Amino acid sequence: MTLRRVLIANRGEIAIRIARACRESGIQSVAVYSEADKDAPHVRAADFAVPIGAAASAQSYLSISTIVDAARATGCDAVHPGYGFLSQNAAFARACEEARLVFIGPPADVLERMGSKIAARQLMTSAGVPIVPGDTPADQTESGIVAAAERVGFPALVKASAGGGGKGMRIVRDSASAGALIAAARREAIAAFGDGTLYVERLIDRPRHVEIQVFGDTHGHIVHLFERECSIQRRHQKVIEESPSTALTPRVRSAMGDAAVAAARAAKYVNAGTIEFLLEGSGDSARFYCLEMNTRLQVEHPVTEAVTGVDLVRAQFTVAAGGELPWTQAQLMQHGHAIECRVYAEDPANGFLPQAGPLLLYREPSAPGVRVDSGCVEGGTVSVNYDPLIAKVTVAAESRPAAIQRAAAALRAFPILGIRTNLPFMIRLLEHPDFAAGHLHTGFIEEHADALLMRHDTPAEAFAAAAAATEASVVPPSREAASSVGPAFRPADPWATIRGWGR
Amino acid sequence: MARTLIVRDDRGEHHASIDDNGRVSIDDVVTPVVTVAPGVVRVGDGAGRTAWVAAAGDVRWVYLDGEVFEIDVLRPGSRRRSASAHGLLSAPMPATVIRVDVSPGAIVRRGDTLIILETMKMELPIRTPSDGVVKAIHCRPGDLVQPGVPLVDLE
Repeated sequence: MTLRRVLIANRGEIAIRIARACRESGIQSVAVYSEADKDAPHVRAADFAVPIGAAASAQSYLSISTIVDAARATGCDAVHPGYGFLSQNAAFARACEEARLVFIGPPADVLERMGSKIAARQLMTSAGVPIVPGDTPADQTESGIVAAAERVGFPALVKASAGGGGKGMRIVRDSASAGALIAAARREAIAAFGDGTLYVERLIDRPRHVEIQVFGDTHGHIVHLFERECSIQRRHQKVIEESPSTALTPRVRSAMGDAAVAAARAAKYVNAGTIEFLLEGSGDSARFYCLEMNTRLQVEHPVTEAVTGVDLVRAQFTVAAGGELPWTQAQLMQHGHAIECRVYAEDPANGFLPQAGPLLLYREPSAPGVRVDSGCVEGGTVSVNYDPLIAKVTVAAESRPAAIQRAAAALRAFPILGIRTNLPFMIRLLEHPDFAAGHLHTGFIEEHADALLMRHDTPAEAFAAAAAATEASVVPPSREAASSVGPAFRPADPWATIRGWGR
Repeated sequence: MARTLIVRDDRGEHHASIDDNGRVSIDDVVTPVVTVAPGVVRVGDGAGRTAWVAAAGDVRWVYLDGEVFEIDVLRPGSRRRSASAHGLLSAPMPATVIRVDVSPGAIVRRGDTLIILETMKMELPIRTPSDGVVKAIHCRPGDLVQPGVPLVDLE
């Protein structure tokens, strides 16, 4: 079969990324949007757009029936879930199948199996893939969780069984202080996933987070597309990702690739997925433990695209339509070095607190080897309702030092004003000597917090630029750009409001 | 007639003056500024460096060499009260109150968690900046609170 029209069940940069891939492939795209997003750039990026409800995700981007209805009403033959939201939701994949919509991702039963940490661990173990000691205790009371932590050993990590993205995750160092941490993890787990079940595992000291991109088709082919190192994290969420990893020797890289393919094969995996590993130690003796499988396209997929030269989203379309993988393992190679920097609306000096507000001035950098994936425009706003990711800057260069310089230069040429961002923080990170040396681990940001958060006094040039700013020379706060994006319409029947932007 | 302004960040304030030829001085040191495009200037001696500037009320946001500066630009005499000088704690962004851990009269120490907010699916503790006594609470669990609106009054 061929896909003719795809509904993109997401928002922001990933919705735009998918819409572009659709356009290149000659597939029509349908965007969905909440009330908060009616003027958002992703709405214009697609050929058609459909409103799906209120700003709160639960009433729009997480509403399975509304999205399936929207796909059917707009004559779509497939749905791309992006990442986050419903991307790993087996019920959604099943609802798509029942509505004769191709779900662009793995089959519902694979989502189900890999979504359960218990089943996923059993499957990994049976495939011979090493895992971190851990348990979802049957006794989910506080004392049951504490007992499980004592079994796997302190320090232990308590996290949402249903989860991901660092939400509902706490480090427990002893039984005495566990109570409040367990309660907080459970509250976040319920808020984020609607399920307070907690999982407990041993915390590996100073690990690296290294993941392997895998891809399977319905003809039994499974390949890996090498690693991404994502050790630079804050609040258990990735900030900077790169490939190749400075920690992998050819022997360990090949062993991890084999393990990832074995895991994917055991899971009968189809489409794009990622096996996450913790890496302990370095050199040929480094050990790796499988953490989990992410059954979706990852935020950081451009890193893999940059070093391997493939288009993962277009390959997703091919495989979803029943085609064979466009590449064999032997054809896949890593070239040069790629680094992705996630630009977040957050205040690093204040615990990386998410920020919401207007983008008074927003100008993306443009240079050789620099790719910007963004869902924002100048004059728009970063909404309190959704993830505070503003943009991803992915650079490619012939070597790691050149990639670091290119990334820092790109961020210096990426002014975002009106809201605090992690741009200055990331530049300091990229230019930290231990980052240059490749001495990474998941506690890197905490370990170097003082240096990374250091602030220079405001230079006279900045005061002068501020003083000289007149009405004519600065971007005023009330630009109309965002609200003049398209014709306003609020009809009663949502399906009557499908917008076509032409092609 | 040169115009005189006060430019201020959270570390201190300086005198700025702009003469009739548009020449800018900061504390009597001339610092050239040339506007290149809306929101874009070249600043400093020689070729200068590129800076981006945006305005929000009295605040100027400046991006220069990978650093962001938030600078108040005020006319002399129109000085605003410093934001950190009062004992009101507020939400840094729109959020939902999920828990209130103290009641009026409670003695609190620097760093104590008073309120837990939730925003973007993450918990956000509001902690005391200094030792003190809780004078009043202005929110309840379930409230949707806006930035700048007081949540707790500390003494």
